[in-house]
Amino acid sequence: MEKKKLVVLAALVLLLAVFMILYFNLGGNEKPKSTQFIPSSQDESESEELKNPVAILLFFPSEHDSLLHREEREIIPESSLAKQAKRIVLELLDGSRQGYLSPIPPETRLRELYVTREGVAYVDFSREIMDKHLSGSSAEMSTIYSVVNSLCYNLKPIKKVFILIDGGEKKTLGGHIDLTSPFQPIYDIVAK
Amino acid sequence: MSSDAGSIPAASKIEIDDREKLFKNRRGIPKCALAFSLLFSFLTIHSSPQSQPILRVSAQDYENYSRLTIQSSQPLSTSIEKSDSFLFVKIRANSPFRIQRESFRSRFIKSLGWSQGRESYTLTIRTEHDNFSFDSFKLPDPPRLIIDIHPDGDKEPGRDTSETPVDRPSLETKRRRTNPPDLDPECIVIDPGHGGLEAGAKGKFGTLEKDLTLAIGMELAEIVRQTRASNVVLTRDRDVDISLEDRSAIANNNKATVFISIHVNGSYRKGAAGPETYFLSTDATDEEARRLAFMENNSENLDNNIQAEDEDVIKMILWDMAQTAYLKQSSQLAEDIQNELNLLWGTRNRGIKQAPFKVLTGVACPAVLVEVAFLSNPQEERKLLTEEFQRKIADAIYAGLSKFLRENSR
Repeated sequence: MEKKKLVVLAALVLLLAVFMILYFNLGGNEKPKSTQFIPSSQDESESEELKNPVAILLFFPSEHDSLLHREEREIIPESSLAKQAKRIVLELLDGSRQGYLSPIPPETRLRELYVTREGVAYVDFSREIMDKHLSGSSAEMSTIYSVVNSLCYNLKPIKKVFILIDGGEKKTLGGHIDLTSPFQPIYDIVAK
Repeated sequence: MSSDAGSIPAASKIEIDDREKLFKNRRGIPKCALAFSLLFSFLTIHSSPQSQPILRVSAQDYENYSRLTIQSSQPLSTSIEKSDSFLFVKIRANSPFRIQRESFRSRFIKSLGWSQGRESYTLTIRTEHDNFSFDSFKLPDPPRLIIDIHPDGDKEPGRDTSETPVDRPSLETKRRRTNPPDLDPECIVIDPGHGGLEAGAKGKFGTLEKDLTLAIGMELAEIVRQTRASNVVLTRDRDVDISLEDRSAIANNNKATVFISIHVNGSYRKGAAGPETYFLSTDATDEEARRLAFMENNSENLDNNIQAEDEDVIKMILWDMAQTAYLKQSSQLAEDIQNELNLLWGTRNRGIKQAPFKVLTGVACPAVLVEVAFLSNPQEERKLLTEEFQRKIADAIYAGLSKFLRENSR
């Protein structure tokens, strides 16, 4: 008799768990509509076995020409899209290991990174990216497109990149390139 | 509402009275009757040109002014005269008009009355105050004379600008999109980049981008003034902060034929050298293009019934996407200027470039951004500091500009 009760109780608990999972999954679908952001901590479940390093391509400006150059690097895959995107930006902030130029002022920190359902990555940098920026159109272009190309090339779900500074929208880095619309990658400016 | 009947033909007066009753009894009558009457009045407006031309007057209040619209089925020849609290609009007519009036309620207009003279009609507008000013302008398709009445004297009083239209920005941008830009009087807008606290790129010897752009911009303006009979507008002529939006707005408000923004480049690589001419990248206008399509489909809403509060928003949207319509011409202008700069600098043809420059997005005419050289390159910085070379750069830009204007004036 006791045993039977226990089984029923277990079944109820299981049912409740199933409901909760369903509820939160559906809830997860609705939520970004209002906030526009998927928190970076989502999709925790995916990958326990995917611990092998994967190759990514980063894009850096070079002293030799006005193009962006590829630099291959291996990273341990992260558990979510946003985390993976963060990893890529952090690698970019670290600078080149092959002697390319650093497109982002070294004092700059990555504050946060979100990816929306529509595939727009919001990359939030600390204000040094603007304050310590060299200024000049070419410098702004290489800063922006090293980030945009590196994210979009490696992570297919990311279609566009919106650059935020200190948590908010800014007009430009130094009076030139428009930061108020998201960027799509430009691969014409990458060396062959 | 009150109506001084003047000498309105009897038929139209009856019609007006009927319509007024109709609107007063709106709740009492079936909707289909209202629809029929609207359809009927619509048909009478649009089917009559063969029989008798029509004059239709309507008035609408906005926050700070009243707008009176006189619409006709044929082009209007008018003159406006102000006297005390009256405004007299004389409309020349070879044949009799049929006059239609819509009921109106206005804070600033007391009454409207028509009188008929020999080969002319006069609309007498009686305002609430002696102290008012007005603007007027004409719009085509259908021919309209629009008179804005401002109750206080904050505008220059009695300015009759009906021969040289003063356009509202929202209507203005739309009109410019449908007319080829080369029909407007030539106006070259030159934008020296940066200024004030915004210094732009910095050179090794301490040269600031904002100072060079101003020097070259002023030089270019001087050359244009001396060489062409065109209007030249500088977005700044001293060391001041001007927002990027205001720079585009200056171009649009002056009905610019061409907009040239002057900059000096900066790069992380020390070897970067030579001039570069940019026009807006299509990438940046993707979303704008979609909005453009949306606005085209809803353009009726733009012409009619723009509430005062909404006017700013609509103006902004139109300016936001303005450059999309001019990308082809902008690329041609960029090429003409880049060719001349290549000759000057002896650079291999690097071709023109596209980038999402904030200052270009809202400009409603062919627009380019010229990076005359690299300030991050010490050799170029030294060259740029000489007045002689600044002059040469201005000459080269002017040569490209005048080639473009030649190619585009038919």
